[in-house]
Amino acid sequence: MESSPAIRIRNLSKTFVVTKREAGLRAALRSLVHRRKEEVRAVDGISFDLAPGEVVGFLGPNGAGKTTTLKMLSGLLHPTSGELAVLGYRPWKREKAYLRQITLVMGQRNQLVWDIPAADSFELNRAIYRIPAADYRRTVDELTDLLELKPLLGKPVRNLSLGERMKCEIAVSLLHRPQVVFLDEPTIGLDVTMQRRIRSFIAEYNRRNGATVLLTSHYMADVEALCRRVIVIHRGRLLYDGQLSALVRSFSAHKTIVVQLGDCQADLRAYGEVVSYEDGRATLRVAKAETARVTGRLLADLPVIDLTVEDPPIEEVIERVFAQEPK
Amino acid sequence: MRVLRLLFVFVRVGVMSELAYRANFFVQLFESLLELGTALAGMAVIFSHTATLGGWRSDEILALVGVYFLVGGAIRLLIQPSMEQLIESVHEGTLDFTLIKPEDAQLLVSLQRVEIWKLTDIVLGFGVLAVALARLGARVGVRQAAAFAAALLAGGVIVYSFWLILATLSFWFIRVENILMIFQSMYEAGRWPVSLYPGWLRFFMTFLIPVAFATTIPAQALAGRLTWPTLLGAAALAGVLFIVSRLFWRAGIRHYSGASA
Amino acid sequence: MKELRDIYVQQFKTSFASMLQYRAALVIWLIGHILEPLISLVVWSAVSRSSGGSVGGFSAADFAAYFLVLMLVNHATYTWVMFTYEYQVRQGTLSSVLLRPLHPIHSDIADNVSSKLVTLPGMLFVAAILIVVFRPAFHFVPWAMAAFLPALFLAFILRFLVEWTLALAAFWTTRVSAVNQVYFVAALFLSGQIAPLSLLPFPVRLASAILPFRWTVAFPVELFLGRLTPVQALTGMAAQSAWLILSLVLLRIVWRAGLRVYSAVGA
Repeated sequence: MESSPAIRIRNLSKTFVVTKREAGLRAALRSLVHRRKEEVRAVDGISFDLAPGEVVGFLGPNGAGKTTTLKMLSGLLHPTSGELAVLGYRPWKREKAYLRQITLVMGQRNQLVWDIPAADSFELNRAIYRIPAADYRRTVDELTDLLELKPLLGKPVRNLSLGERMKCEIAVSLLHRPQVVFLDEPTIGLDVTMQRRIRSFIAEYNRRNGATVLLTSHYMADVEALCRRVIVIHRGRLLYDGQLSALVRSFSAHKTIVVQLGDCQADLRAYGEVVSYEDGRATLRVAKAETARVTGRLLADLPVIDLTVEDPPIEEVIERVFAQEPK
Repeated sequence: MRVLRLLFVFVRVGVMSELAYRANFFVQLFESLLELGTALAGMAVIFSHTATLGGWRSDEILALVGVYFLVGGAIRLLIQPSMEQLIESVHEGTLDFTLIKPEDAQLLVSLQRVEIWKLTDIVLGFGVLAVALARLGARVGVRQAAAFAAALLAGGVIVYSFWLILATLSFWFIRVENILMIFQSMYEAGRWPVSLYPGWLRFFMTFLIPVAFATTIPAQALAGRLTWPTLLGAAALAGVLFIVSRLFWRAGIRHYSGASA
Repeated sequence: MKELRDIYVQQFKTSFASMLQYRAALVIWLIGHILEPLISLVVWSAVSRSSGGSVGGFSAADFAAYFLVLMLVNHATYTWVMFTYEYQVRQGTLSSVLLRPLHPIHSDIADNVSSKLVTLPGMLFVAAILIVVFRPAFHFVPWAMAAFLPALFLAFILRFLVEWTLALAAFWTTRVSAVNQVYFVAALFLSGQIAPLSLLPFPVRLASAILPFRWTVAFPVELFLGRLTPVQALTGMAAQSAWLILSLVLLRIVWRAGLRVYSAVGA
């Protein structure tokens, strides 16, 4: 039996009109009289469905259209064209019955009141969402347990660290047990441990409550940890919608090693593909399986001041992977 | 009803935010007393040279001072902080959090910030009014009291709508905070009866930046000087402005959401 | 000496640039500045009208003249150092100011003068409007005009020194705003900003003459309006000079004490 999708998008587009500004005095004066307008297609005809209870990663570089899509899904932005339905509602109408069933978490933006303990911000949301007392208590207990909030709730939000604040932000947004959860870069700016904590929380929450989760990120690790299905967006267009494992195979084929060398001129081609080499700072691309071995050799052979191993940036991977694919 | 419940919740948040800064209460009290002292001393100097000011007796001017503090306190307690926060949230994008809540956004933004210590101004205003009423004595009956309440309500709605319209401008323009400063300066002029000012300024203070409705007209009601046409006019203006500000607010939200006009 | 000149030139450039940046704020500020003298003017004109045309030697037109000149003299002499120092202490930037080789008062003076020069056209514009609308009555007395500029200059320096010394309260307490408030209220009454001093009760006038307030604002105004006799003018300038010396002495004492307190706390 096929149930209707929680989120249904067909050919969704969003175009912004921006005034074009150039540098220089003459351009500034000209703009007083005649403003040049330019159309920017932030989202350009995307389509996908989300089944209830799915956790899907929405991946793409900065400016790809992820946040714009999320804002349209949560009713904050009106689409320019296309079809859009979430839980059967048209989000941009912002009907109260709809808003009660969704939530939006934005990394780097706070809704918690700064000077008071998080628990009191919770109370504020309880009043606004009209959450019955018994449900509220149950939800708060569950979230406190899952997110380890006990020591944090009594402290004023301004005294919390960035990671602790993010946990509370996520908690406050889930008090009303929304069926659909939109997360916009929730782990941005957090340290690795906290990122992992939040990822595992989202997975657990989805397991327990069956909420549909759409998570945007430009960190591959977020998506890897949470989503079987991933949608890749770039310049407003969908590049990929499918199983993560297939994508991972292309992504994780390589790693990037950035090494800062002391005074020496070495030929690094023996270690891997040299992407750049300037002022003693080299960027190498090596096969994932080779990473440990190459790193060891670099450290043994050369005067290394600093060395980091990174995933290739998404932009590079997307360019590579999809430039190679015949469309 | 719903509005009161939400107001209570936001007041609670406001109180809790400030409880950490108890010293601020004393600072506020000190400042308010100083401001009141200045106003009263200024009055004393003026009335040492004349018995009436533009036809107003000293007890009537005292009532005006009381209204000035009362209304000023109410504005600085709720209207001003909430509207300033609205402007900030438009620029920082945190307005999104408000828009995603299943509650009327205008209601939420209008109650969102309460500067609880400004209550001292309101209390002081009531105190001054009480003294003025004692002096006005027999001249204030039920009719005057009712007219006063109505004028205060109308004035409050007018000032709120005006501030909302100004704050809504921030959906289109960036440096709207500066315009708010004009209201501050003009409100100072409200300490004296509007009738003192030259015609063009009186017009400005009544219809462009509605200070007159906030202070002079309620004081007139208390002094028994308020005519029916004026009170009805104030009520009508309050109704019209409230509707206009709501429509403008909705237009602002549509613009913010990128809805095609 | 060259350092001093450089500082002043630099400060001028910065003030000009920032004024040009914040044009809208400037217009708002101007509107606020029209309202101040306007309100006082209107109120006192009403008083004079209900007292048969004049009050204490001031007709409505005289009041107009008084508050107009007051506005300009106030603009020429006012400072904002008390706010600056309170802000710097709160932000913790005072230390870097103190580390500079030159006494901080110089950059403060430069900032003050340059900002005023930039806003002077606006003030003159406002003055012109007020003259047209309220038709103030001026009684120009030649010698008083000649004496006005030196008196204004003395008033400026005196007020600057007094307020700068008070600003140093920031070394001792974070609640400087309370100190500022008291000072401003006192200045409001005692320097003739609420009403011409001759209209205030005797104790107030006495306090105003003993304290520097009369000599920082009211005195130059009265001089310009030709309301003082030559003797009064001379005594006035003598009082200004006396207070100038006194305030210089006070400043040095407070400055040294302040530095000691500040460094003791560990900055």
